[in-house]
Amino acid sequence: MTGEDTLLRLGRHLRRGEVSDDLRRLFLEGGRDGDAFYRDRWSHDKVVRSTHGVNCTGSCSWKVYVKDGIITWETQQTDYPSVGPDSPEYEPRGCPRGAAFSWYTYSPTRVRYPYVRGVLLRAYREAKARTGDPVLAWAQVTGDPETARAYKSARGKGGLVRASWDEAAEIVAAAHVHTIKEFGPDRVAGFSPIPAMSMVSHGAGARFVQMLGGSMLSFYDWYADLPVASPQVFGDQTDVPESADWWNASYLIVWGSNLPVTRTPDAHFMAEARYRGQKVVVVSPDYADATKFADAWLAPHPGTDGALALAMGHVILREYLVEGRTERFAEYLKRFADAPFLVRLEPLPDDAPASSGGPGTLAPGKFLTAADLPEHAGEANAHFKTVLLDADGTPVVPNGTLGHRYGEADEGRWNLDLGGVDPLLSVADGPGAPEAVAVALPRFDLVPQPGDDAEEHLGGAGVVVRGVPARRVGDHLVTTVFDLLLAQYGVGRPGLPGEWPTGYDDASSPGTPAWQEELTGVPAAAATRIAREFAQNAIDSGGRSMIIMGAGANHWFHSDTIYRAFLALTTITGCQGVNGGGWAHYVGQEKCRPVTGWAQYAGGLDWTRPPRQMIGTAFWYLATDQWRYDGLPVDALASPLAHGLFAGRTTADTLVESAQRGWMPSYPQFDRNPLDLVDEARAAGKEPAAHVVDELKAGRLRFAVEDPDDPRNFPRVITVWRANILGSSGKGNEYFLKHLLGTDAAVRAEETAPGRRPKSMTWREEAPQGKLDLLTTLDFRMTSTTLFSDVVLPAATWYEKHDLNSTDMHPFVHSFNPAIDPPWQTRTDFATFHTIARKVSELAAVHLGVREDLVAAPLAHDTPDELAVPHGTLTDSGLPMTERELIPGVTMPKLVVVERDYPALAARMAALGPLAARAGMVTKGVTFSPDEEVRRLGKLNGLVAEGPTAGRPRLDKDTHVCEAILALSGTTNGRLAVQGFEQLERRTGRELADLARDDQARRITFADVQARPVGVITSPEWSGSEHGGRRYSAFVVNVERLKPWHTLTGRQHFYLDHDWLVELGEQLPVFRPPLDLHRLFGDTPRLGTSAEAGVVVRYLTPHSKWSIHSEYHDNLFMLSLSRGGPNIWMSPQDAEAIGVVDNEWVEAVNRNGVVVARAVVSHRMPPGTVYMHHATDRTVDVPIAEASGLRGGIHNSLTRILLKPSHLAGGYAQLSYAFNYLGPTGNQRDEVTVVRRRSQEVRYE
Amino acid sequence: MDVMLWVVLPYVTFAIFVVGTFWRYRYDKFGWTTRSSELYERRLLRLGSPLFHLSLLVVIVGHVAGLVIPKSWTEAVGIPEVAYHFVATWLGSVAAVGLVAGLLILIYRRRTTSAVFLATTVMDKVMYAMLAASILLGSWATVQTQLLSGGIGYDYRETISPWFRSLWYLQPEPRLMEGVPAAYQLHLVVAFLLFALWPFTRLVHAFSAPVGYLFRPYVVYRSREGDVRTPRRGWEPPTGPSPRGH
Repeated sequence: MTGEDTLLRLGRHLRRGEVSDDLRRLFLEGGRDGDAFYRDRWSHDKVVRSTHGVNCTGSCSWKVYVKDGIITWETQQTDYPSVGPDSPEYEPRGCPRGAAFSWYTYSPTRVRYPYVRGVLLRAYREAKARTGDPVLAWAQVTGDPETARAYKSARGKGGLVRASWDEAAEIVAAAHVHTIKEFGPDRVAGFSPIPAMSMVSHGAGARFVQMLGGSMLSFYDWYADLPVASPQVFGDQTDVPESADWWNASYLIVWGSNLPVTRTPDAHFMAEARYRGQKVVVVSPDYADATKFADAWLAPHPGTDGALALAMGHVILREYLVEGRTERFAEYLKRFADAPFLVRLEPLPDDAPASSGGPGTLAPGKFLTAADLPEHAGEANAHFKTVLLDADGTPVVPNGTLGHRYGEADEGRWNLDLGGVDPLLSVADGPGAPEAVAVALPRFDLVPQPGDDAEEHLGGAGVVVRGVPARRVGDHLVTTVFDLLLAQYGVGRPGLPGEWPTGYDDASSPGTPAWQEELTGVPAAAATRIAREFAQNAIDSGGRSMIIMGAGANHWFHSDTIYRAFLALTTITGCQGVNGGGWAHYVGQEKCRPVTGWAQYAGGLDWTRPPRQMIGTAFWYLATDQWRYDGLPVDALASPLAHGLFAGRTTADTLVESAQRGWMPSYPQFDRNPLDLVDEARAAGKEPAAHVVDELKAGRLRFAVEDPDDPRNFPRVITVWRANILGSSGKGNEYFLKHLLGTDAAVRAEETAPGRRPKSMTWREEAPQGKLDLLTTLDFRMTSTTLFSDVVLPAATWYEKHDLNSTDMHPFVHSFNPAIDPPWQTRTDFATFHTIARKVSELAAVHLGVREDLVAAPLAHDTPDELAVPHGTLTDSGLPMTERELIPGVTMPKLVVVERDYPALAARMAALGPLAARAGMVTKGVTFSPDEEVRRLGKLNGLVAEGPTAGRPRLDKDTHVCEAILALSGTTNGRLAVQGFEQLERRTGRELADLARDDQARRITFADVQARPVGVITSPEWSGSEHGGRRYSAFVVNVERLKPWHTLTGRQHFYLDHDWLVELGEQLPVFRPPLDLHRLFGDTPRLGTSAEAGVVVRYLTPHSKWSIHSEYHDNLFMLSLSRGGPNIWMSPQDAEAIGVVDNEWVEAVNRNGVVVARAVVSHRMPPGTVYMHHATDRTVDVPIAEASGLRGGIHNSLTRILLKPSHLAGGYAQLSYAFNYLGPTGNQRDEVTVVRRRSQEVRYE
Repeated sequence: MDVMLWVVLPYVTFAIFVVGTFWRYRYDKFGWTTRSSELYERRLLRLGSPLFHLSLLVVIVGHVAGLVIPKSWTEAVGIPEVAYHFVATWLGSVAAVGLVAGLLILIYRRRTTSAVFLATTVMDKVMYAMLAASILLGSWATVQTQLLSGGIGYDYRETISPWFRSLWYLQPEPRLMEGVPAAYQLHLVVAFLLFALWPFTRLVHAFSAPVGYLFRPYVVYRSREGDVRTPRRGWEPPTGPSPRGH
């Protein structure tokens, strides 16, 4: 017996209760009074389902607990429908950020009442007392320069005072009415991103703005999340697999995406798939959190990912398609890619420099089309029917090209059925020997010789001459895209002229693993091995090799080239359109699954069409006057083989041309009120469109983009909701503050010198400050944006309203529901916009009435507009507007007159209009006719009893709108899904409707999604299939049902022949390094040097573990888990260079501004690069900066907008505009900053 | 003055101590804690805490022996004053050194470990001051009157101890405290203040010293004794007429 036992035995006699024989257990009765406390602590009165509309992509359903009318906490819902027996489940889903949300409800940062800037409110009240009319009062306040200056310069300096809802709404409404009357409805704008994160809240405001005639600003391109490569290659935007499909992948490359941090609830699928034998490769310059899951980690220098992808492509093309021919790959390329299509080879002009191979050298030109073949030239849309060679060498026009998509003649032929044709992948494969010709291809990887002006200017661009096999078709010397691809990738074949690498270890010639090693730092052997594994796995698994890609690779200026190199890997290996394979691009919560119903509601398309939707990046670039500091010559980006279309022009000039040609939308529109334009035309007895063309021709009317600093062209009124533009996405924050808002700012750059200014834009010596008259923000918490707003309206949180939510990451639609009524004076976004609309209607009865508005609408993708510019060839490039032939809808925007019944605005917003059924609802070229649905909604929601919308289905409650969105979308209404597929069946001649017929009778209602998350129905709105319970993966329908992609050839594109892409040398995937800002802008120091007692480093702004964008940074729980406040992560080497130790204050300074932060010194970081986590609001721990004497900025104080012309190309096939489909990106990764240690004594005021 | 210090103060202190402890136990069970800071710092605590607490046990035993046991009893069992004094002084001094050393380590730790310092309340600081003053004064009294004075030192068993016991007989004799060295008087006053603070500080943990752990099986099952929760209004069990209709 041990000593302990003796003690225990002794204890038996000292206490009551029974002790077990082994002396381990004691049995007592009672003593549990304390339980009551804990039972009460965790008791609650009700549990309500809701979620978080925070653009985190998680779209997790949550249980919200309410006790005594107070929201107490939240836990994860567990009732997701099962994924099926062979896969892990979606449940559990959630993350610590979501679990911390309820803190906000009663937090000190909550906005509880309407606020107006004090200076403004006083001025408005005085003016209203004088005039007795809100609109006249607003005109006085903004019209008097001194008053306007006073309240605008007070922005961001406190002084918000409480106002009543009535008064705040009146001010906002008066500003809108005055602006529409005086300057035009296109001077009104709304910014609210990511409809999928709360469709009704987004839609209510968007409906208000767009029914007024104002423009909704795009966000996807503005966030730089939009991969331009997606429209370029697929003719579709961000159609990607759900996260459960990662389980189906057997080889996974995670490239520039930090799954555990940014896809927290989904990352488990990757962890689980590893148990199934999946190999995971992480490509990331830093030791990102995802890296710990990796079997292999490749760490390229930031921004050089394209070179690594090209080298991997080099290995795969050589080993699997040239040295050995993989039938699976070859067959896939023949059918599903533009690889076999013929491209004309055209001689370089006579003045071509010797470095490009000299005159006579050939360069790849335009696709050969039916128009080039005498026997087909007479066919409809012949210029848009591309040509390939059959096995016997005869030219064939296969089905499925863009030319087959439109017109009666080709009904039933828009499909990928090749019939008996067996395309030649290479012209060398056919009978008889082809010619071997040399072609010149651009390269951008050279190191410019210092001192050589020409080379410095081109920045390392050059030419590599390589050979391709070619044949003659008629007069044309042609080769296939595949042959060009091999040349571009440096994969030589015997007998071809030109410069070829001698092997993988040849670093001198672009494309090889050794070549990429010099650029990326990734060992050549590793690149080779991963490439082989990726391809071999695709063979062994039938295409289940996947690349998850994200913002790390996508936010660069040249990200389109990086992504095209990625997509080439998944297409060459036949992984696209296969479950478990292909691209998986994850950025924001982009997938609004019930997209048709949402678009109808948000655009107000049931009442008026077309809406004004503007490319966000261009809007802010002009509105914040960043164009005045830019002046980037396009020549500096152009290919050495360019034809001079961009000679002497800046990127801003390409924006102007793109707007003038209708390639991209451009609002504010013209330098005249579009309401007045119609009045003028009517007075003159002319068609408004003809009047506009005449005025443009005469030079009396100009696009607003040509003179953004003319007060007539200012955006006047902007409303922001569900967004925090000044704390999160506002690239060039200091320019926003200075020029748009007119308050203190730390802009340090000089304006562009005369020689570099855009020639097609008017330069005004005095840059305007404070262009914007009214910034209104709806939010439930104080953010960087509310601090600068003139009116702040208190919003309901996600636990206080009805709404809908969906995501790319899972196939469910689910609901928001109010756990409590909006507390204090808060209102839902839906209620707020209806409040404002009623005021607008009231004031409009006096000031506006019914007017006609002329909308200049861009040439749209998925419509016959994309046939406007055959071959993407410009015949009048460089001519001014007045000398061009102006044909609306062809050489310039469409001009459409729209009636605006302003007094009826509020009534119309609250009712479903007649156009939904009468004109149909169009999504990606499929027209849905919701006649039955409109009748059903009338019964479900009731009909409007009286007023201008009497008899229409009601939409005056948020729940009505939820029902309408679900009823009007194919994904949530089986009848519409089948209807859409049947329409596509007629066009394609392929069976499709069976994908939805099982679900034809299903109608997902709001009650259904309140009960539990509901999986959606396969619909032509998307390219994947959920049919039979399979996981969603993009392009499955294209591959399995031979439905064409929405591109020129109807296949996935390696090759692009739009003139502007030719000018940039980006016809094929090519490596373009990060911008050399020192070379392009003299005011930026050279990377890796020392300046102003600091280090010059690359400045990246990735996402943080403790926040979702700017949300949660200020949340007490997240502040407790992290350091909180602004941080800059840097390597020990860089820290040592400036004598900084961990947690010391540093200051980062560049031409765009200054930011103060604490240094986080970590081995995770590669030397030469710093991270400042995206979107730390200026509300927590932001001291005064030494460099500016102003509050120390935010992450975007160091960034700015840079436009890339290839993003602006339009009017042609897949390069045509659609909202959030194509547009210039607000890229920010190429930025450089100086970081230095600052005084450790920080002041806050 | 003597009555105030040596009659009123002790009884008031006793009252506060007893009532305060009862109140604290009744109303602040969740705050009945050591406020352990082991989570924040361990190395110094492992050294300082046992040193302090074990020395304290010796000191307590010494106080009991000196104050409660009459001199006549020890003499009756044949312990001469010289022997008592020798043992009491030297054992007491060793314990005092350990106690002061432990206290200094704990205070140093509390001040220099930022997380521990942040977890220190105002009440903690007051308590620390009283505790330190009481210990230092007691030590000083021992050093001054027992070690430095030569001979067998000051015999508190003739004055302080009978006075202390008189308090318990409810026949206080404050006169006994006349002429007691100032060091002892100060020590006593500070000690009373410390006891008056006791119920309102973390010192209550002394009542919860885990002595029982030595004798208790480590798995404890407590079965429910009736319903632990008062039923909410409207949810009380039925109390109507019994089925038999009495």
